[in-house]
Amino acid sequence: MKAANYLYINLSDQRVKAFPIKQGALKKYLGGKILAAKLLYDLLPVGIDPLSEKSILIVNTGPMNNTGAPSSSRFNMTFKNVLTGGIASSNCGGQFGVMLKKAGVDGLIITGRAATPCSMAILDGEVIFQDATPLWGLDAEAVQEVFPKAFGKLVIGPAGENMVRYACAVSGERVAGRCGAGAVMGSKNLKALVAYGSKHTEVDNPEKYDAYVKKWVAFLKNHPLTGKALGLYGSAGLVNTANASSVLPTRNFNQGNWEKADDISGETLAETLLVRNSGCISCPIRCERRVKVNNKEVKGPEFETLGLFGSNIENNDLQLINDINYEADILGMDTISLAGTMAFAMELYEKGLADFRLRFGKTDNLIDVIRKIAHREKPYDELADGSMRLSEKYGGSDYAIHAKGLELASYEPRKSVGMGLGYATSNRGGCHLNGGYLALMESIGVMSVGQTNSEGKPELTVFLQNAMESASAAGFCLFTLQTMLPSVLFKLGPGHPLTGVAGKAMIASRPVLGHIWPLMPKALPFHSMFLLPHAKAVELAMGIPMTTGQFLEIGERGYNIERLFNLREGLTKEKDNLPKRLTDELQDPDDPNSRVDIKKMMPIYYTIRGWDENGVPTEKNLKRLGLTNDLRQI
Amino acid sequence: MAFTITENCIGCMACSKKCPVMAIDGEKKKMHIINEKRCVACGVCQRICPKGAVLDSVGSAGERLPKSQWPKPKVNQSLCSACGICMDVCIFEAIKISYPKFNGDLKVFAYLDEPEHCVGCSQCEKMCPLQAIKMEVG
Repeated sequence: MKAANYLYINLSDQRVKAFPIKQGALKKYLGGKILAAKLLYDLLPVGIDPLSEKSILIVNTGPMNNTGAPSSSRFNMTFKNVLTGGIASSNCGGQFGVMLKKAGVDGLIITGRAATPCSMAILDGEVIFQDATPLWGLDAEAVQEVFPKAFGKLVIGPAGENMVRYACAVSGERVAGRCGAGAVMGSKNLKALVAYGSKHTEVDNPEKYDAYVKKWVAFLKNHPLTGKALGLYGSAGLVNTANASSVLPTRNFNQGNWEKADDISGETLAETLLVRNSGCISCPIRCERRVKVNNKEVKGPEFETLGLFGSNIENNDLQLINDINYEADILGMDTISLAGTMAFAMELYEKGLADFRLRFGKTDNLIDVIRKIAHREKPYDELADGSMRLSEKYGGSDYAIHAKGLELASYEPRKSVGMGLGYATSNRGGCHLNGGYLALMESIGVMSVGQTNSEGKPELTVFLQNAMESASAAGFCLFTLQTMLPSVLFKLGPGHPLTGVAGKAMIASRPVLGHIWPLMPKALPFHSMFLLPHAKAVELAMGIPMTTGQFLEIGERGYNIERLFNLREGLTKEKDNLPKRLTDELQDPDDPNSRVDIKKMMPIYYTIRGWDENGVPTEKNLKRLGLTNDLRQI
Repeated sequence: MAFTITENCIGCMACSKKCPVMAIDGEKKKMHIINEKRCVACGVCQRICPKGAVLDSVGSAGERLPKSQWPKPKVNQSLCSACGICMDVCIFEAIKISYPKFNGDLKVFAYLDEPEHCVGCSQCEKMCPLQAIKMEVG
């Protein structure tokens, strides 16, 4: 394992310094979001405005990018969250990460602000700045066409330029969507980052590594979820299951199902508008939808976009959702936060608090409004700041659907209460993935650990959050974790008694999962294709011992660093919460458990995490994770 | 590792047009230069140079070959997972992932779509994580 080659770039004076990351740090923090969280904790002074000159944007890769491992093209962007003020890490499957590594660079730490719009090319390790004034104003698709096709690109659209708080960064057709990565690039006058090179990433043990990758790809291809369902229906295939389990947000999270859900489902998409499926580089799962917009083949919507621009605003026009998805991508906006904010504006009108000419079920002006938000045209500039800020001005905070300021994804948590706990505790705000994605085991998967009971949910949430943290930091797509649900369950089907037993067994594992963390990494001294195949791949690629337990401990370390960052920025215990609609109002009046009982689950969650009653990591916990002397403000 | 261009170069630009990693720079009728940081030593420039002006890493000039004798990728469809690494690495867009034959067809794979564009650089073979690509002549 070699030291990682990071570059520290100040855009104000265009100075570039080498910033090598030693082997010891890579062993402890892997790369990607965990290493970036540590760097941001060390380098960013407290209380800096995320859109100011002094703020820092880290774009980095993980050890597995460019090694040929399945679904390993994901790169990371870490910065101070534009919506929440805490930490932000945004993940993207575009070509930029792989190309950055091919250019011989593992990560970029970008600070300062260019005096005029600029673009930055990283070619074979050299940084070249160029004036981007002629590119300013171009949409994310047009600006990428300016650069050679082979280059890896990471650009912003007009929304990023105008610092819409949920602007995304775009690489190819994939986006680093959440938390406002595009706004941070825009605030730095950085229109485009491009990279090209031809370096191959050497792994420690090529022979064994290749054999393992082959085995893993075969495992993914043979699993009913990653080998079939995701290829056929993509994440869009979740619409009908979510609707049946009452977790499909409807009318701004008023309800969990919608009678017209099938109109916007993955099955309907596959039968009518789908051209084919596709995937990010290196991915055998290929969940991406390809659809037509204005007769051009483009990327189709994910489940989150379908739910939030479909049922949540009562729109059953599937082609319109495809159009909106494309429009939001080229303007450079996160569809989750954008749709969440628009649904909240619709409810503000219904409650008589504000009128942005947005109505549930009215679809003719949606694209027009989206364009106005991206360009911050009045009065829609207020929507460009997200639903939390909108509720601070107009009221309605009980039904402004966000956590810490980041809008929730398309899973209605009152019938998936562990997902609710995940949303509330997620370090980057209301995110399903950073929150642990327990919905997969509660409401939308083949087996269920129970939808509305809180037993076992904190334990499972901590486990999944840590596992996803490590896998993400290594450079893997989180869909590679879905094989954790054994394929035999899919063969038996959701109604089979054994599937029910599997769910109960998972809850019964609660005492183990609740006490296992202080014993990590020794607790799980093995490798398993079924549990976390990533650990073995990391071991063979990096040439360091990496058991399942060690891999999970790195994830836990990452989650704690992010938590410390949030606490330092004032996101304390009170912010680990959800809007009252989800915690106090029942989704089903006949079911007293159909709400997210945060007060019950949170103390257990804190205890398992090794945090005190205020959600602050204890000294003992930090010492165990080796963070006591390692984190410091530089 | 990197290849170099000698003074025999006449600046015909053939090598710079066919370099699979855009490593060769130069103006028409002027001597070209290989960017050693980027060169992947694939030998395409040697095969195409009319003047034998390209030397490999040990100083050998290699041999000019007609296009018919350039190796081409052969994809083992049963091994290929359609992950697209080969397609991404090919700047000539010679290799593509096949279209599904029917609605819901998941058995797609990489194939040589534009044999005329292929320069036989073998980057796709090198990058394929499943060793599903072998370079063959003819």
